[in-house]
Amino acid sequence: MRFRLSAEPVDTGLLHDTLKHPGSGGFCAFEGWVRDSNEGREVDGLEYEAYAELAQVEGERILEEAMARYGVTDARCMHRTGHLQVGDLAVWVGACAPHRDEAFRACRYIIDEIKHRLPIWKKEHYLTGASEWVACTHVYREHEHEHKAHPPHVHHDHAKAFVPDYSRQTRLREVGDAGQAKLAASRVLVIGAGGLGCPVLSYLAGAGVGTLGIVDGDRLDASNLHRQTMYDARDIGERKVDLAARRLAALNPAVKVRTWTEPLRASDALEVFREFDLVVECTDDMRSRYLSSDAAVLSGTPLIMASVYQYEGQLQVIAARPGMPCLRCLWPQAPAPETVGSCVQSGVLGPVPGVLGTLQAAEALKILLDLPRPQADALLLVNLLDLNMQRLPIDAAQGCALHGGCAEVARAALALAREQADVDLVFDRLEDAIASGFTLVDLREAAEIALDPLPGVPSLSIPSAQVLARANELTTCRPLLVCASGQRSGHAARLLRANGLREAYSLAGGLRGMRTYS
Amino acid sequence: MILVHLQYYAQLREQAGMSGEQVNTAASSLRELYEELRLRRGFSLAAEVLKVAVNAQFSAWDRPLRDGDTIVFIPPVAGG
Repeated sequence: MRFRLSAEPVDTGLLHDTLKHPGSGGFCAFEGWVRDSNEGREVDGLEYEAYAELAQVEGERILEEAMARYGVTDARCMHRTGHLQVGDLAVWVGACAPHRDEAFRACRYIIDEIKHRLPIWKKEHYLTGASEWVACTHVYREHEHEHKAHPPHVHHDHAKAFVPDYSRQTRLREVGDAGQAKLAASRVLVIGAGGLGCPVLSYLAGAGVGTLGIVDGDRLDASNLHRQTMYDARDIGERKVDLAARRLAALNPAVKVRTWTEPLRASDALEVFREFDLVVECTDDMRSRYLSSDAAVLSGTPLIMASVYQYEGQLQVIAARPGMPCLRCLWPQAPAPETVGSCVQSGVLGPVPGVLGTLQAAEALKILLDLPRPQADALLLVNLLDLNMQRLPIDAAQGCALHGGCAEVARAALALAREQADVDLVFDRLEDAIASGFTLVDLREAAEIALDPLPGVPSLSIPSAQVLARANELTTCRPLLVCASGQRSGHAARLLRANGLREAYSLAGGLRGMRTYS
Repeated sequence: MILVHLQYYAQLREQAGMSGEQVNTAASSLRELYEELRLRRGFSLAAEVLKVAVNAQFSAWDRPLRDGDTIVFIPPVAGG
């Protein structure tokens, strides 16, 4: 094996030694390092991810080509994967040959081809705390060796950089080249890379939307695969934002992908929304939906929301213009999580979020391209059992307008959410919470607890629906509420605080989060 | 008594075990009708968390019923 991917630093002295051949009169090496800035942004470090099987085969092929092409004695290459700091060695290339010229040229050929052809993605971490995935094959430069002495090489046909072909959509009279340019200039944030998010992200990347942001804090679970079609069985346990970013880079390398690995918070949602032209809300979390609606109204960013239940779904487009209704115009307050159901508790047929997410993607493209859309804002109800679709116009005058208008209502809601931001606490182990003086209160139903009991730690059991009625049991302790995902416990802790229990807290991410990561 | 056409969505469909039905009712408002149905169909959700639409328009709960109305009860849903 001449080519090697390594997750660990490699001793270049050893690589050098493998190239010491008695017949060689010259040796040439190239080292690529992580530098501290890219396109004007300060970089803190980066992370390489490779499609390992393919990278290995392609890497070997490149080295063989270089040896045949320049007649070098031997050539080696090592490419790093994983986390790297500024100054770290990212790639090493070495070639030895009877004469120096071949060694130089082979070295140059190898590094150019490696940069162009290897399926490796780089995630840059910026000093601002943000990060971004960049397909390393993204920018194709015709390289110097091709059109001078040598005719185009047959091996190189597959290596040509991918040029997106949008002809099937630009052929639409309403899209055309002007529409395509609009898409390329557009920035869309997709919150949630699950059942709804998969079709949204795939269609928007395929369509050539210039920048896609992805927000998701979850890791892929085997139970996601029946409806989350971007992922496969090998991906289980990986962070969805990373998987989605890699998938999108492979689908359309022309798209720039930005990722957020934590859910947005009341403190940063508005700022993030302002960096995008359009937001698509695809989470299974009511609190995220309300936060998104508030942030859309206040930032003036259109928002496309959808949600599903078993065989049905709902879709609402929030235009985020004065006089147009928001989520709170329909349902002023977030309902308790146990009343609205979830894919975990109620079940869902895989194609249902697929259909609703596809509708969201279509709405997003219609908005970005200025295609005809219904004037009146409405709630769309989709029932996939009887194939019934129903549009119910929303009368903005009967919504937030009665309470000072959407903007006023959203501002108050965001302010309250910021005030309550300390409700969610992160613990690595439940024992740590107890050691910190908390009393664990398990809000799950008896059936859930029976399936997955808390491991050997004392706790009080109060089903979430009864938490307010039994608040008197919690007045003499500092309760840390826990549930499976952190949704019920977060809602209940806020409810308790609103009713005078100021010391109520919730385990962020729930027990599921704790299991996955510990 | 008047005859109304009902459609159930999400949790209500699941709890009723049907997508809809026609009922004869003496209820004078949407709210009264829903309370009747809660008893008959065992709906767990309170009217406050639902939206109701009559003849494809959202409606207030105190709206009087008319013969032949098509009424849709809609809970918020959260799956994604």
